Amino acid sequence: MTTPTPARAGYPQAFTYEWIKFRSVRSTVWTTLATALAPVVGAVFVAATGSLRADDTVLGGSLTLSVVAQMLAAVVGALLVTGEYGSGTLRTTFTANPRRATVLGAKATLIASVMYAVGLLSCTVAFLLGDALLPSGKYAQGEPFPALFGVAGCFAVAGLLGLAVGTLVRHSAGAVTTVIGLLLLPSLFGPLFGDARRWVAGVSPTAALEKLTQTSDATADAVGSLGPWPSLWLVAGYTAVLLLTAAGVLRRRDT
Amino acid sequence: MSPGPVLPSVEGMIEATELTKRYGDKTAVDRLTFAVRPGRVTGFLGPNGAGKSTTMRLILGLDAPSSGRVTIGGRRYADLAAPLRAVGSLLDAKGVHGGRSAYQHLAGLAASNNIPRRRVEEVLDLVGLPPATARRRAKGFSLGMGQRLGIAAALIGDPEVLILDEPVNGLDTEGIRWIRDLMRSLAAEGRTVFLSSHLMSEMELTAEHLIVIGRGRLIADTTTHDFITANSRAHTLVRSPRPERLRALLEARGATVALAATGALRVEGPDPAVIGDLARDHGLAIHELTPARSSLEEVYTALSQDATEYRAAAQHPEEARR
Repeated sequence: MTTPTPARAGYPQAFTYEWIKFRSVRSTVWTTLATALAPVVGAVFVAATGSLRADDTVLGGSLTLSVVAQMLAAVVGALLVTGEYGSGTLRTTFTANPRRATVLGAKATLIASVMYAVGLLSCTVAFLLGDALLPSGKYAQGEPFPALFGVAGCFAVAGLLGLAVGTLVRHSAGAVTTVIGLLLLPSLFGPLFGDARRWVAGVSPTAALEKLTQTSDATADAVGSLGPWPSLWLVAGYTAVLLLTAAGVLRRRDT
Repeated sequence: MSPGPVLPSVEGMIEATELTKRYGDKTAVDRLTFAVRPGRVTGFLGPNGAGKSTTMRLILGLDAPSSGRVTIGGRRYADLAAPLRAVGSLLDAKGVHGGRSAYQHLAGLAASNNIPRRRVEEVLDLVGLPPATARRRAKGFSLGMGQRLGIAAALIGDPEVLILDEPVNGLDTEGIRWIRDLMRSLAAEGRTVFLSSHLMSEMELTAEHLIVIGRGRLIADTTTHDFITANSRAHTLVRSPRPERLRALLEARGATVALAATGALRVEGPDPAVIGDLARDHGLAIHELTPARSSLEEVYTALSQDATEYRAAAQHPEEARR
């Protein structure tokens, strides 16, 4: 058969395919909307209840719920692949493009860029809302730039972490539980480790986010003294390792 | 078995060579060697668990073979530049996300292989899915509509090769006829059509060539006609008011006689004329005398039973020896 367009199933095609799949299923679209909404709702809530501590910053207070949004970002990342395992469409996907690392790469680009954009937009809006609603002069402002770009980066990295865990675990429920556990448990169980707490809690993706939002919760005692940006690079680093592991497993695994 | 004519080009030919797949200590596909040629419908037969679906997953590169290889047009599936333009496949009804519309499902597949978007409307039209239906979520689709969507997805890239696992499973008579006619017309266009089915009667009507497997091993690779001729024994169905007497007479002359499900005698050996003459010579009335051949269904059932017995014997060799 002669075809006018060149026959090709490469990376750009895989990305377009992933984008069509992403926006044509309710679970991913709604969870992404929830991710975008959470920080904004949090900013309004904090301003309305006046529940900000005296030593907190406007930026940190406004982004109180950004940690929840970060977890939702990770859930979307997991759903991107576990949804395909659950519905059996991963076989369809791999018959359309048998180069599995390319498929995972396309999914990774998609989740990282969507979550970066969602994080940046929603957290900026949350900060502006908080700034407008909170009484001026009462709290330190905090440094929104370039911190907000880092916050967005935290969202992107959480999405990638979810994608890696989803690829390894395959089942939606298991993957969502695992990835939320990864994000939540270090800060939950950190105190049990005594002096080692700052290391246990400090390496988690939520710690990097808290440091970047300059919340008063992010004390050196609780999450270590590693700076906000190095924390983000650390999280990005182990997420990359996990994602490469997932790619290796995916390439060898029978589907 | 029958090697068939050697074609100058391997374009569109599926070739398995010593293909083997083991899961743990269970061998699902066992040194399978066969070729599926273009221009005809090739049926893939085997009892449940014979390894048909595994073989199809191996062809499509979804599972990796433990040893051996399988190629399409001389290349592994994973090495095809735009697989959907070379090979269309339908593995099971669950290749579609229920929450996605048929249109989006096809649009995604088209995008994945650089296929123009207008092709989506073309295949929807080809399989008879109305545009309004295609915009609805696939969850609400009937089995027949779901199968039409699956076929549309397989045809999206206008492929030379079609690989379909149980395409008529669960379809009504009209749907089965539709698929049968479509497969035949696609093969007539020079495409390779490889489809599995457990419906023997359907294969007999649709497939010109058969690849039969049992327990992962090749049982036959031949034309449907030759397969039936070689494996089905000619016999005669005989009805008489005195079947025991007739049976004794026939057996005395060396015929093999069995009681058919209909209550008639199933006689192998003498032809109808001989049986009729024998009955007349002994003053026996004959109410029916029908020459018959066993259908593909019967041949296949017999082969499956052989395979089952073989398996039983392999598991309990000491009992089999007794």
